[in-house]
Amino acid sequence: MPVRVPSILIVHPDRKTQRIVQRILGVTGYTVDVADDLDQGTRLIAHLQPVLVVIDGSAVMSTRMTEFFAAAKARGAEACMTLLGSAAADQVPKILGMGAVTNLLVHPMPVLAEELTITAQKLIRNDIFGVEKYLLWGTDLQAITLTRGSQRAELVAQISEQIRSRGQSARVASMAMLVADELLSNAVHNAPVDGAGEHYRRELDRANEIELDGRHQVKLRWGCDARYLAIEVTDAFGSLDRDTILRALAKNDVRESGSGAGMGVALAYRSCDHLVFNLAPGRRTEIIALIDVRHPPTERLAASSYNVFVERT
Amino acid sequence: METRGRMTIDAQGDALVLAGAIDEAAALHEMTGRAAAGRLTLDLAGVTFINSLGVRDWIRMQAAAQKAGIAVELRRVAEPLVHQLNMIIATRGNATVASFFAPYACDACGREESLLIDAIQNAAALSRLEPPPMTCPECGAQMAFNDFPERYFSFLAV
Repeated sequence: MPVRVPSILIVHPDRKTQRIVQRILGVTGYTVDVADDLDQGTRLIAHLQPVLVVIDGSAVMSTRMTEFFAAAKARGAEACMTLLGSAAADQVPKILGMGAVTNLLVHPMPVLAEELTITAQKLIRNDIFGVEKYLLWGTDLQAITLTRGSQRAELVAQISEQIRSRGQSARVASMAMLVADELLSNAVHNAPVDGAGEHYRRELDRANEIELDGRHQVKLRWGCDARYLAIEVTDAFGSLDRDTILRALAKNDVRESGSGAGMGVALAYRSCDHLVFNLAPGRRTEIIALIDVRHPPTERLAASSYNVFVERT
Repeated sequence: METRGRMTIDAQGDALVLAGAIDEAAALHEMTGRAAAGRLTLDLAGVTFINSLGVRDWIRMQAAAQKAGIAVELRRVAEPLVHQLNMIIATRGNATVASFFAPYACDACGREESLLIDAIQNAAALSRLEPPPMTCPECGAQMAFNDFPERYFSFLAV
């Protein structure tokens, strides 16, 4: 019986996109197989062991997708990465509503190449943590540990001032403030769980001071490489799970009424260009927000990319 | 270490002037008690930041005003608040917007500026998603609107 080699499978109807993605992912050293549609992909997958499936956004909404997902999972696929051309950015709410797409990349080339390569390498190597993976070599990263809840407001203001003093626009500083505040608030108040899985700090009045000792301490790192302003927030509970994230990102009632759990995560997603969740269940949650500082608002897409990575044990 | 500044409220003329951060400490919903003759006019030029907890409070304030029959007018709405008004429909409530700040950029010298737009005077142009022309305060050239009009002006459509 022939030995099956781990590979990557691309399902995309456009021949040019197939070639571009094949070239980008070929650098991983894995065999890259290509299918034009889900039917072909489903037939092909029976003979493959794809670690990663890369699929066109329009195919994700097909009725055949459930069958394809099941087949890919049965063959050992670790993740399904979905590509969405800029013309289809308005499809993001539908894709989010499915609750199954863990990695959505919305940007066209050349940003797509960066996002695709990093995402693929993280999945293949099972090395998911660290904002460094998204920044250029030599980028100066500031690191701060929160030991009191009240530090959040101080820290957010300080980051904003430093961003402005480094020549970034008021818009970038404003987006960074919102993202940092929401991610820190989430890590301080929502992340802590007890043995029964109870989020015992969620309902505490956030205007009151709270000591963050030991495991409650929250780490923030941020830096800018003139492409991205990156903000990374880490807690030591690892209580945020994939389904909760996908539900929060998809929440329509955040837009309609501004209510409900997960509003902070949803606002952070809508205020950055790429939101990355790195999860080690029970041990660590790391959220990274990337704000594109290269392009003015008129050249930015209305949608944002996101990735949910779960560390394999 | 600097703080982002708790929200302050000052009465100036017929308006309450809000400045600083709208967050968990803002207690905005209590402001309806300061309405005069069924009107609550808020000057928002000094708002520097609003987070999800501030948004919730803002929505509660709008709902309380609506329930009490108070007409809310928003003046000189700062950009961070405009972004939330655009992201979360419920933040708009029944308030009327008299004026707001919007991003402009100068192609000639590269300057970026947040400029005030009179929403009443420019109502017709804004409904056609046409930003009013602005002159660069540095070089005098015509500035370009620095966002997508259909995205930035969507809060005016309610």
